[in-house]
Amino acid sequence: MTAKQEISEKGIGIMEEYIVEMEHINKSFAGVKVLKDVKFNLKSGEVMALLGENGAGKSTLMKILSGVYTRDSGSLRIFGKEQGDLDTKKARALGVAIIHQELNMCRHLTVAENIFLGREEKKGATLNNKDMAEKTKEVLDSLKIDLDPNEIVGNLSVSKQQMVEIAKALSIHAKVLVMDEPTSALTAKEINELFRIINQLKEEGCGIVYISHRLEELSHVADRVTVLRDGEFVMNGEFKDYTMDQLISFMVGREITEKFPRVKCPKGKKIFEVKNLNAGKLVRNINLELYEGEIVGIAGLMGAGRTETTRAIFGIDPKDSGQILVDGKEVKINKPMDAIKAGIVLAPEDRKKDGLCTKLSVRDNLALPNLDLLCNKIGKVNRKKEKELVDKAVQELNIKLASPELNAESLSGGNQQKVVVGKWLARNSRVVIFDEPTRGVDVGAKVEIYNLMNELKKQGVGVLFVSSELPEVMGISDRIIVMCDGRITGELSPEEATEDRILQYATQFEAKI
Amino acid sequence: MNEKKSWLGRALSARGVQSVVTAALGFVLLFIIFCILSPQFRSGNNIQNLFRQIAPTMIIGIGQGFVLITGNIDLSIGSVVGMACMTAGTLMSNGANPWLACLVALAMSLAIGLVNGVLVAKVGLPSFIATLGTMTLARGLAQLVNNNHNTNFIGNTAQGFRDTLYYDSFLGIYSTVWIAIILWVILWFLLSKTRTGRHIYAVGSNLDAAKLSGVNAFHTILITYMVSAFCSCLCGLVLLASAGMGTMDAGTTYEMYAVAACVIGGISTLGGTGILAGVIPGAGIWGILQNGLQFVGAPVALRNIIIGIIVIAAVMLDVVARTGRKKPKAKTK
Repeated sequence: MTAKQEISEKGIGIMEEYIVEMEHINKSFAGVKVLKDVKFNLKSGEVMALLGENGAGKSTLMKILSGVYTRDSGSLRIFGKEQGDLDTKKARALGVAIIHQELNMCRHLTVAENIFLGREEKKGATLNNKDMAEKTKEVLDSLKIDLDPNEIVGNLSVSKQQMVEIAKALSIHAKVLVMDEPTSALTAKEINELFRIINQLKEEGCGIVYISHRLEELSHVADRVTVLRDGEFVMNGEFKDYTMDQLISFMVGREITEKFPRVKCPKGKKIFEVKNLNAGKLVRNINLELYEGEIVGIAGLMGAGRTETTRAIFGIDPKDSGQILVDGKEVKINKPMDAIKAGIVLAPEDRKKDGLCTKLSVRDNLALPNLDLLCNKIGKVNRKKEKELVDKAVQELNIKLASPELNAESLSGGNQQKVVVGKWLARNSRVVIFDEPTRGVDVGAKVEIYNLMNELKKQGVGVLFVSSELPEVMGISDRIIVMCDGRITGELSPEEATEDRILQYATQFEAKI
Repeated sequence: MNEKKSWLGRALSARGVQSVVTAALGFVLLFIIFCILSPQFRSGNNIQNLFRQIAPTMIIGIGQGFVLITGNIDLSIGSVVGMACMTAGTLMSNGANPWLACLVALAMSLAIGLVNGVLVAKVGLPSFIATLGTMTLARGLAQLVNNNHNTNFIGNTAQGFRDTLYYDSFLGIYSTVWIAIILWVILWFLLSKTRTGRHIYAVGSNLDAAKLSGVNAFHTILITYMVSAFCSCLCGLVLLASAGMGTMDAGTTYEMYAVAACVIGGISTLGGTGILAGVIPGAGIWGILQNGLQFVGAPVALRNIIIGIIVIAAVMLDVVARTGRKKPKAKTK
């Protein structure tokens, strides 16, 4: 056997083992190094969990693999073959598909049009819409997703859109599939469906990279794990060899002693009460109370009406009937400004869309709802007062930033959330409502958000928070309210709460829906 | 699931059709009103003229429609109309072959389209700014080609050109209208039946998603600006044929007529939505107001005020109709 043959035999051996090999990958954006000498590999038929805090470089690394970005240096081998600079089309031709973190759908186009975007099938010069619709139906059927290929994507719910993204990635018969936070918008049922699909793909020999902040769900799917921190490779290994706490300390570079820090506070007087609130189908006869120094968690499945309830309370959506009382006095809330004046504050679910003006500076964002306090009679903003307000918020909430003049979008998820809350600090709020405050936020920042809630609680503010993650609802709340189908179906103390009991309440009307 | 819907029901529920039907009903309504109010308006002669008046607006509306669907705008349309008109007019009045003159005007117009496309899609300038620049530039060229003078009469050498583009008629319909119809059919095919058309919608709907799916956004946007420049050139040549001479201010503010025709017909300036059929009633409403108000004796100032109000009302009506009928937004939770 000649040396050359030997090498090629070895090549095949490597190919069988690793379908993706990335070594010494470097990447900078505008002079800032976001990936430093990173290595990554993937075998066929396995799920590789890719972990790291926000800004660790996970998404960037995967965008290099899928051809969205080109690397500055380093080697990339796919199926044992060294690859030069990729673009999305080349990567797709190699069988690399990616489901991006942000939904990347053309809202105005149909499901089939989105799935075939960029690789439309033609009959002569014209598009072959019938064929594409049929093939889309096949893909959707194989994934057991009940959707009409001709439905306009903009009319679908976020979770359905996410399923379309998944179907789109799979429709190219991917051999390497990257999923960047695929479950952030899915319901429990859909997540199980996704795991079923993942297992099916694994059996077919597809290699899957799975990025998620929800560590709990990884134990269901992950075979191996790679951890990045600050753009550098930290470790990789068999997933089952490590505990959650070990993985977290790899990610954040320090021990997180308490995942759910809890603060004991004496329960004060009743500060907030909702009586018989009705608003459309998803808010039916809601009664709830909130006491000083208390965190109340609202649990439930997607579509249970939790967000709708907070929106109705805050005056975004019209109420059909019901009363809202703050400190025992009834307040009329017809628009958000009424709620703000009554001392109620909402940190909305979608930070980027509803919570922040991402293109404005942190200073502008913090000052925005307080301009009436900051302006003099002719409407000129008092810079000194503004600076005081901004400094106070940054200090009290421990917002990590180089300067308040930076755009809000440049902050990490956790710090963005702090800015959203910081906007209302000057208002002496009585009630703060958080809607999914930790969605898409990494472990370290999650703890910071919990600490923020605890801090508010200590100051005697009532905190109401909506969350789909049961561990955090159980870990942080002083009381847990469960909703299903627009109604409150149960109330539990943290001592009596178990995942099973919450789910039982949360699915009370499931059969009827 | 869809089988139960009638053919008509399905056609109406197709994308963008509703706004087109609304606009078409508006056109018919205005048509009937003016017919009742003015005997001159309803004369056969004027009806023929009316459609010939609508045709140029429709031609540029088609071009603007392509650009608007990608989420961009083309402000250079009016100036390209003037430039094409002056360039061809100057050549013709100096005795050049009329069709050769048209080709020269077309080449210059497409060059402007190319510049627009490169500035917007390659350099990344906002389309409003980029085309504001080329708008001024093209108007300057319109003034330059004949040394800052309008051209002489072209009828002596280019009567055939004038007849073909403006005066001939076939089946009782003027050639200008036929040109608009043929142009519409070809470009409708491009937009709704081909891959390029699909990409135009995708780019306007979500540029990032389109790029990540492997769509060549540069080519797609460039094509829309080339189409727009082609349509503008054609409109300029029609104006030349009609007037018999090139005027330096030909086509002034036509880009806005084009936007109006699109928006009335349901092509949103935000991109991603609307169908090319909307340009027909859109341009129709614009043209019938200009023509009809004149016959019922409204002074020019009043005409402009009424047209302005009707454009706003038409778009508002469309927005209200669409948001009013929308299902309650599917919440994520």
